[in-house]
Amino acid sequence: MNKSRFLTAAGVVAIAAISLTACAGGAGGDADAAPADSGEVTWWGWTPDTPVAERYIAAFNEEYPDITVTYRNFENVDFRNTIVPALESGKGPDVFDLSAAGGTPDLWGPYAIDLAPLAEDTLGDDWESKFGGGYAEQLRTTDGTQVSLPLGGMSAGFVWYNQGIFDEAGAAVPTDYDSWVDACQKIEAIGKTCFTMGAGGEDTFPTEMYHAIANSVDPDFFLAAATGKAKWDDPEGVEVLQIIEDMKDDGIISSNALDAGQYPLANEAFMKGEAAMVQMGFWYTQYSGSESCKSAMESAGVSEPQCFVQLPAEFPDVAGQGNGSVPFGEVDYGLAINADSKNIGAAKTFVTWMTMSEAGQQNVANAIDLLPALQGVAPDWSAISLVDEDVQQPAIEQLIADSTATTQSRQWQTTSSTLDAIVVAIQQVLDPTIDLSVEDIAAQLQQSSEASAVGVK
Amino acid sequence: MTSLAPRTVDPARPYAQGEKGGRRRRVVPLIPGGFRWIIPALVISVGLIYYSIVYSGYISFFDWRGGRSPMNPIGFDNYVEAFTDPVFWTAIRNTVVYFVVVFAVQVIGGVFFAAALHSKVFLGSLYKVIIVIPVVVAPATLAPAHIQVWQSNGTVNAILESIGLGALTQSWIGQSTTSLMVVILVGCWGSIGFGFILYFGAMTQIDPEMIEAGRVDGAGNLRILFSLVLPNVKAITISLAILNLITALKLFDNVWLITQGGPAHSSEFLGTMIYSEIAASDRNLGYASALSVILLVIAVATSILIQLRSRERRAKVTKAVKAGVDV
Repeated sequence: MNKSRFLTAAGVVAIAAISLTACAGGAGGDADAAPADSGEVTWWGWTPDTPVAERYIAAFNEEYPDITVTYRNFENVDFRNTIVPALESGKGPDVFDLSAAGGTPDLWGPYAIDLAPLAEDTLGDDWESKFGGGYAEQLRTTDGTQVSLPLGGMSAGFVWYNQGIFDEAGAAVPTDYDSWVDACQKIEAIGKTCFTMGAGGEDTFPTEMYHAIANSVDPDFFLAAATGKAKWDDPEGVEVLQIIEDMKDDGIISSNALDAGQYPLANEAFMKGEAAMVQMGFWYTQYSGSESCKSAMESAGVSEPQCFVQLPAEFPDVAGQGNGSVPFGEVDYGLAINADSKNIGAAKTFVTWMTMSEAGQQNVANAIDLLPALQGVAPDWSAISLVDEDVQQPAIEQLIADSTATTQSRQWQTTSSTLDAIVVAIQQVLDPTIDLSVEDIAAQLQQSSEASAVGVK
Repeated sequence: MTSLAPRTVDPARPYAQGEKGGRRRRVVPLIPGGFRWIIPALVISVGLIYYSIVYSGYISFFDWRGGRSPMNPIGFDNYVEAFTDPVFWTAIRNTVVYFVVVFAVQVIGGVFFAAALHSKVFLGSLYKVIIVIPVVVAPATLAPAHIQVWQSNGTVNAILESIGLGALTQSWIGQSTTSLMVVILVGCWGSIGFGFILYFGAMTQIDPEMIEAGRVDGAGNLRILFSLVLPNVKAITISLAILNLITALKLFDNVWLITQGGPAHSSEFLGTMIYSEIAASDRNLGYASALSVILLVIAVATSILIQLRSRERRAKVTKAVKAGVDV
């Protein structure tokens, strides 16, 4: 073989080798490996933020100093687009976040080991009942494999308000539609925005307002429609859209609502102190902290942040039928162990500590951005510094109690198509240039939606 | 081992001496001599690009969420879904409108600035830099500025208020009737500079004697521009048409960063539709692939059509010129 022919052959072989190596999947880990006290664990997730994760890991290392955990945070969509190719190619993390939304357990579950035996060994036969309501079930695949164990829960369907702005305007926190209109008039009179909302783009945040209003109209309607037992263009659905239209016409929803999504538009307006109210979920509780509020305000563009007292309140009973508006919630995310991981032993130790130990769950509770997954764990208020403890602590405790008691899921039983269709319907209602009746919009919503079979008995 | 590989042939001496008798014979290589050197690039391009295209076509016939989720064959259902989806037709309409407007503005603006700056203009170099800057700045960098300009409390509304036209202020990004216009204006803003670069370069290649001859024959500036300059830069115009078409079909970054295709899908494009299907929590890769294949077919078919039309026209002109000469 002459030199050039040799070089050609070598080149082709090298490329083939590189291609094969790149395409090769993992060799497969030992799912039955016992939890180990040493090793290295990589953890990928879209949440928590890196500083929070580092706090979790530091606390874990106090108990397990010989396990090194490396966390990598992704933006939400980036995570979804990165994790599957990484797991498929065998280059994935040892531990990864896995949520209940959009059938994720079925999509990513095949890459994860069954964690039910680990939970049973750790918490006993009745391990499932040790977690918050439905959290474990929500992280199972349709064939019943427990592909992830819950780290914490999330709730939504309430509003946050700036106590200072309400005091300055002499307004009372609204409890129904009329008191909301009245409060907005007083707040607008002092040059502030009453209720900031970002419904532009494809974010599904607006669906939470729809859900909250629906709960005021009929607490059973939203999940019934989401699972195909009711229709979005039933009278209740039309009434929800009519209320949203009224809120726009009566100045509750600001005219710039479609300029952008909830993030950054509404978050920045509230954090800058320009708006009196915003609808956000339980994760917003963390900004009640005397330090975390500063970083949140700085992120919103405030140069010298002076924290204000922000408080949660029940979503006003806008339908006026005495239903109130109960919050809704579900598991936020859990931790899964990559079936191809070479470090399953150490990963099991980490996941066990994070999700099933009181020490790990106490960390989650004290971060006050999630509801701890393990029942009986509550925030240690002596370790948490709030802006105004006398006012905020009881309000947050009430919020935790209401959130824990909820029986309504947030997005677990709503398909992605339906969430998108609700967003479009709200945009059509809020868009002054769209000439469609709320009945027509509700009919389009029904046509574009797709009923969910998840959790339907 | 039998090898099809040719002997090394000196390209300067295509007829090699025979080993016996010195009779000259032609060596017909079965594989071009430099072929082996392009094998790595060929493998990578075929492997990564054309394989991906073929694979996209394959998975477009499945209901598949990616990874190890089950692949359910569904025939042409994804294509049927696309062609019966009103959002798809909104995206097609937006693509056509975007292409026509941006292409027209790019050609007119590019020719105007190129012609103007070929004259001796005071601070001409500065103008060139100003015109070209939008081409080189990344859309992600500029998107927040564009949002600031067009949002409800943004620059445009502030200007309208200040000149007494407060009645015209509106939510430019947050309305179905104006969101596409904002995307198109941002596209125009970035495209004029690219048109300018190409036209300016092409005009430099025009024989000055031809222009001079036109002037001797009494042609004014406009006559020279339309009768001499533009016909000579026609190839650039055709290239820009094809490039703009492909850009419009693939459009994603500016739209996603400014409107995310909304509100209510009013500024949706094929690129944003495909991304939405891939990035959603219940990813629909089969449908996204079907949209990608449709996009590819439209892009290739229309590019070929534009090329063929331009060749037909060129042939007609050549024929007409020949006929004129014969006469």
